[in-house]
Amino acid sequence: MSAIAIGLDVGSTSLKAVAIDARGAVVASVVEPTHPRIEEHTRRVVEALRERLGVTVLPIGATGYGRKRAAADKVLTEITCHARGAFHQLGVLGVLIDIGGQDSKVIRIGEGGSVLDFAMNDKCAAGTGRFLEVILARLHVPLAEVASTAERATRVVPISSTCTVFAESEVVSLVAQGEPLEAILAGLHAALASRVAALAGRLAHGQPLFLSGGVALNRAMVRALAEALGKEPQVVPDPQLVGALGAALAVSSR
Amino acid sequence: MSVRRLQYEVAGRVVGPAMIALDRWRAQSRRLSPSARPSPFGPPLESTRKLKELMQLHYLQGRYADGAVPVAWVTSGFPVELLRPWGFHVVYPENHGALCASRRLTPELSDVAEAQGYSRDLCGYARGDIGSVLSGRTPVGRLPKPDLLACCTNICQTVLYWYRTLAEHFGVPLVVVDTPYVFGESAPHELAYVEAQLEEVCAAAARVTRRPLPRDALAEALTLGREASALWGRCLATGKHRPSPWTGFDGFVHMAPVVALRGTRACVSYYEHLLLELEDRIARGVGGIKEERHRLLWDNLPIWYRIRDLSTTFAEAGANFVCATYTNAWAESAALIDPAAPFASVARAYTYVILNRDLANRLRVMRELVRDYAVDGLVLHSDRSCKPYSIGQIDLKQKLSAELALPVVMLDADHADPRAYAEEQVGVRAAAFLESLA
Amino acid sequence: MRAAVIREQRERHGRRIVAVLPVHYPKPLLTAMNVLAVELWGPPGPPRGVDAGRVQPYVCAIVRNAFAFLASGAASEVDAVLTPHTCDSLQGFATLVSDFSAWPKPLLHFQHPKGEDRQSLRTFLGRELRHLADGLAAVTGRELEPAALSKALALHRRIDDARRFLLTRRRGFAGSDRELYTLLRRGEYLWPADHFRELEAALRTLQAQPTERGIPIMVSGYVCEPMGLFDVLNEAGAFVVADDYAGVGRRIPVETLAPAPDPWDALLAWVLSMPPCPTRAATQTARLEHLWRLYEESGARALLIHTQKFCDPELFDVPAIRQRFAARDVPTLHLEGELELAPSGQASTRLEAFVEMVQARQWGSA
Repeated sequence: MSAIAIGLDVGSTSLKAVAIDARGAVVASVVEPTHPRIEEHTRRVVEALRERLGVTVLPIGATGYGRKRAAADKVLTEITCHARGAFHQLGVLGVLIDIGGQDSKVIRIGEGGSVLDFAMNDKCAAGTGRFLEVILARLHVPLAEVASTAERATRVVPISSTCTVFAESEVVSLVAQGEPLEAILAGLHAALASRVAALAGRLAHGQPLFLSGGVALNRAMVRALAEALGKEPQVVPDPQLVGALGAALAVSSR
Repeated sequence: MSVRRLQYEVAGRVVGPAMIALDRWRAQSRRLSPSARPSPFGPPLESTRKLKELMQLHYLQGRYADGAVPVAWVTSGFPVELLRPWGFHVVYPENHGALCASRRLTPELSDVAEAQGYSRDLCGYARGDIGSVLSGRTPVGRLPKPDLLACCTNICQTVLYWYRTLAEHFGVPLVVVDTPYVFGESAPHELAYVEAQLEEVCAAAARVTRRPLPRDALAEALTLGREASALWGRCLATGKHRPSPWTGFDGFVHMAPVVALRGTRACVSYYEHLLLELEDRIARGVGGIKEERHRLLWDNLPIWYRIRDLSTTFAEAGANFVCATYTNAWAESAALIDPAAPFASVARAYTYVILNRDLANRLRVMRELVRDYAVDGLVLHSDRSCKPYSIGQIDLKQKLSAELALPVVMLDADHADPRAYAEEQVGVRAAAFLESLA
Repeated sequence: MRAAVIREQRERHGRRIVAVLPVHYPKPLLTAMNVLAVELWGPPGPPRGVDAGRVQPYVCAIVRNAFAFLASGAASEVDAVLTPHTCDSLQGFATLVSDFSAWPKPLLHFQHPKGEDRQSLRTFLGRELRHLADGLAAVTGRELEPAALSKALALHRRIDDARRFLLTRRRGFAGSDRELYTLLRRGEYLWPADHFRELEAALRTLQAQPTERGIPIMVSGYVCEPMGLFDVLNEAGAFVVADDYAGVGRRIPVETLAPAPDPWDALLAWVLSMPPCPTRAATQTARLEHLWRLYEESGARALLIHTQKFCDPELFDVPAIRQRFAARDVPTLHLEGELELAPSGQASTRLEAFVEMVQARQWGSA
């Protein structure tokens, strides 16, 4: 089916773009690191998508950190768009947890994908993907191996520092003390999960839980979250594209 | 006597002592395995066991208090002697908070409060208390619900915000003793204000208990409170001896009765007992640590969840905390209480508390402690949860180190929440400080 | 802007200048003694100046800014500093200045009493007001004349009325929220009579036909910095119709009382007539009831709680306020600032998402 709208999620680390058809299905998608020159980058991505799809003009919805710099017909926050996109994919009400590179969000989704309430952790890296990234880089663990390494752990070494920077030095001294890498990784996942659970707090009570964002692709993280939340969250299909999908749906007024 | 009241009395006089005796028997029967490292400490204080029993009994009785006797929740700086005449069972959320913090329970309790929207930047005691109240979780079994909340702003303004939240939650009256901050000396109208509020406290207690103030009991409570404070002062003063017969961290632990049981006979008896033991240790040349090479002062609240570790680190370097501004605070009021002029003297004693007085006074107190206890170095705990104590420390550090030519170190932490404790940072600073003493 | 006002007041009108820390102080008393109060709420921004490191990072920015002000040559601009006993941080500031700094001018205190209205509080407050008047007399060199106090109270009552009117009739005010608040906040440093003239001029522009400029919201918080938040709010499609900022709405009596004949009694009544504020710690019940009434009467559809980091008095009340408003199904957002210069991307996103959410509730779409 032919495309009817484009959605852009201009994150601070990665740009996601989708084209949807009249049923709201994703017919094309792009995920690439965000270029600081957002106007140029988004224009290029939209151009490439149009060429691929063989269309000239499509309405564009934009969300994410750089949404106002993308030349879009409709601009909405990622809260609204994630709720919309997740509801479209899952069709049920519940609470969406999105752990991005630089922020985390918890959104209570209502009828039709509306937002009933939300919470954001946006001040501090310790509750975001950045927390893991920074420390994993320090430990020289490639992202592709993180989940499998963490899953091998037979125990969890608790990481007590609240702050990412302090956690980094704590991890370095744990390594020096001879703690196994798997256990430290398991501890890091547990630490991130507990911060996210704290953010979810009152919102997530007794609700079905969904997970989106790049971190959702990390199996160990999903497991750690299940542990911290007391309930396994369902990963939204194409978890990275949820925001862009919501933006496309919003501009197409489906 | 009501059934509830009977339970309360039985808990205090029969069940409690029986459980304690059982614990004691069990402890004696247990073989303690020898520790891997030789301890830098002198023999532990015998009185510690008695202290634990005293506080255990208090909390045990507390489980049966509501419905049996009037219950008041009270701040550490509140003139509790005014409530004793009515036989209130008094709960100290701060003491309970210290207990929770020592057992590292504060984070999970705080999580409950934070889930309700309380900021993590708020006082650790308050977060832990609110979390405990909301969840019912407590290491002491159960805290009795208050019939009256009583707070005094002489330790901080935060207790006001905290207690009015509790008042809303419990739906009980809150009586406030607002003590104007002392810049230099209190003005007459300020002390008159405090005095008038003390009368209001008695009126509130009379309303809640539906009994008038038993005046004789007030004089007695004040006398007992004054005696306890004076005895506590004498216990602290044993630290002037070389070596000090106990450690600064012992001091933090043993202050519980003068805070939470002040105005009772049991409190006085306890300190008489402790003083005897300390004097005996002095006579036998027994020190709190084996090799006292450095005598230190601790400023601000202790780091409750790290008392053992820090104590050991310092003791292994031959350093003992021979005095502390925090423990000293409960010895200061003794001189000011006059049972013959209850309201006027209590107004003055409770307004002139170290945290309610200006930094010039704090500096003076610290100088005097350094001089009287022959201190070689100072540790200032920059407690993120306690702004009235922590603001000014940067200046105090500079002044004291310049004036006294002594090493002064600031440790950034929190008295109750281990999540604010950065292991590496504190460790490095403490190590560097100890090196500078050597 | 403020420097020009200060200079003019001093040189042209011979007035003394007193820098006042937040929040509650008996302003009519200063006016009566021909003293210009210049309030120190900022300016917003990161720590600066030689004294930036004098208080720990967990102390709020108001204190840090106050130190920066004093260190920046304030001694040549102002004749004294007045610190109300607002909270532990400002208490610490006051003692640091009086004991450990080379501040050469007088430092006055105002210990506004805390807790519920009760006899001891009234008696003390009456005496504390006179005590402050004595302190001010030492600065000005002249005693307070009771007639001047009556006159000042009359002026301040008119100012209160004007401010209240502007806020309750906000829908008739053509300007943006930033313009409204800029006008109201000029009262933090203008000579009251001048502030009144500006308020009157604004009142004359009020339109008879009020317009709904988007989603009406109520704001509660400590200080409205950064002002850029209002721009974000307006652009997102919302506007402020009810105010519970400590520096604005909580310093406007709910209603203007008929003045007592004795000016000191009238001043006392004025101080006690202010809406509930946690820094004065009346019961939480009273505060919650006041907030709810304010909300209902204003026709607001959402609540924004805007606290500053490390502000204990505000933060302790947030859960109770949220609960009360949630029980009545009012969408609420709690935004925490750090007295920053401009709203961060994250803060803007949060505000925008909030407005989107409320809009969707109202209009059933995203």
